[in-house]
Amino acid sequence: MSKKLLRPPGALKEIDFISRCMRCGKCAQVCPYRSIKVASLMDGLTDMGTPFIKARDIPCYLCMKCPPVCPSGALDRALKKKQDVRMGIASINKKECLAWQGTLCRSCYQSCPIFDEAIKMDNELRPVVDEKKCVGCGICENVCPVEPAAIIVKSR
Amino acid sequence: MKIKVFRRITQILTILLIVTIPILNRKGITILMGSLYSLAIDGVWMTDPLSGFQVILSTLSADSVLLISMTIPILLALIFGRVFCSWMCPQNTLSELFDYVSNRFSVRRLIDLSPWAAPRYIIMAAFLLLTLILGFPVANLISAPGIISVQISKYVYEGTVGLEMGLIGVIVLSEIFLVRRVWCNYICPVGSFLGLFRFNKTMKVLYKEDAEHVCGKCLECVKACQLGLNPMEGRIYPLCYNCGDCIAACERIKDRGKPLLFKF
Repeated sequence: MSKKLLRPPGALKEIDFISRCMRCGKCAQVCPYRSIKVASLMDGLTDMGTPFIKARDIPCYLCMKCPPVCPSGALDRALKKKQDVRMGIASINKKECLAWQGTLCRSCYQSCPIFDEAIKMDNELRPVVDEKKCVGCGICENVCPVEPAAIIVKSR
Repeated sequence: MKIKVFRRITQILTILLIVTIPILNRKGITILMGSLYSLAIDGVWMTDPLSGFQVILSTLSADSVLLISMTIPILLALIFGRVFCSWMCPQNTLSELFDYVSNRFSVRRLIDLSPWAAPRYIIMAAFLLLTLILGFPVANLISAPGIISVQISKYVYEGTVGLEMGLIGVIVLSEIFLVRRVWCNYICPVGSFLGLFRFNKTMKVLYKEDAEHVCGKCLECVKACQLGLNPMEGRIYPLCYNCGDCIAACERIKDRGKPLLFKF
């Protein structure tokens, strides 16, 4: 609860998600990439049993299989298009980002599923996140070659 | 003995189901999905009524898909009583197993409680009130069947289980050393909520003595009841969860004209 977890695509606003999620674990079962993990008691009483994604380990590849299986509607079952997902938002730590520090790197830019829209390259070939387009899948965080990642996805 | 064989088969099938689901799901086969909070069998969704009701309380709204998914479990309870508890719930299966073992080694429990329905309803009401106030399904923090099934799934997927699995250990230890079958009989809110769905046609254990049904007062039924109830007294509901062990015990003595039977 001190640290907000990144929820699967289609998740309602955190406070509504916590109320509505039944902790049944179906979204984690349907996830073909095993991106969705089940939080435990150690993550706090309100988060116990809820699904979350650790993008640095396995990000969400936006296959959109989880929203339709949610029995309680904690994930918006009507959500079909990956462009409409708003699970999180990426932000770049410019002090650590290779491209912003003058080394050529386009890892995040190239792997972004909302290609050339959510992450664009500026005139000096540095990545810039468009917060209106970013879906928060965390693929950029996953592929960032810097350790720890210079681009991080936070829950919205 | 037929009833008991049937029940054991159902209990084993339920455990097989919750173990098989994540194994199949991991291979991409999703015809069966979910846990004992919410199951999906070939597109038919079944949600634990307590979980569903908590979501209604915590969000103060009702999703039609959620409501529809609660109907099969509610109908099951209305028709057959709390058979989910006695015929399916993996916590009950585990508790029965350890009850058998500790009786075998004649472990003495610290406290001898007689059957009493009030505590479980107070506990359920408290958890539902907390759900309303805190705005999340608080009773699912102690839903043993839900936790067991979700943690089996978590183990299959992630190779670890959460600390909440400790609750199952606490339950088992309390039942061995403190109070016999304390969880199912005095605490579990899942069972309490299922028990609300009953009316005069719900299946029940009936003790009937007449010209054709003669009772020898052998007390085998009382001995058979793990919940410490006396089927000969009547008034065993809402605590009785229709496991049928008393009927099976009676059947063992006399297969015809037995005074105990399931009746709608």
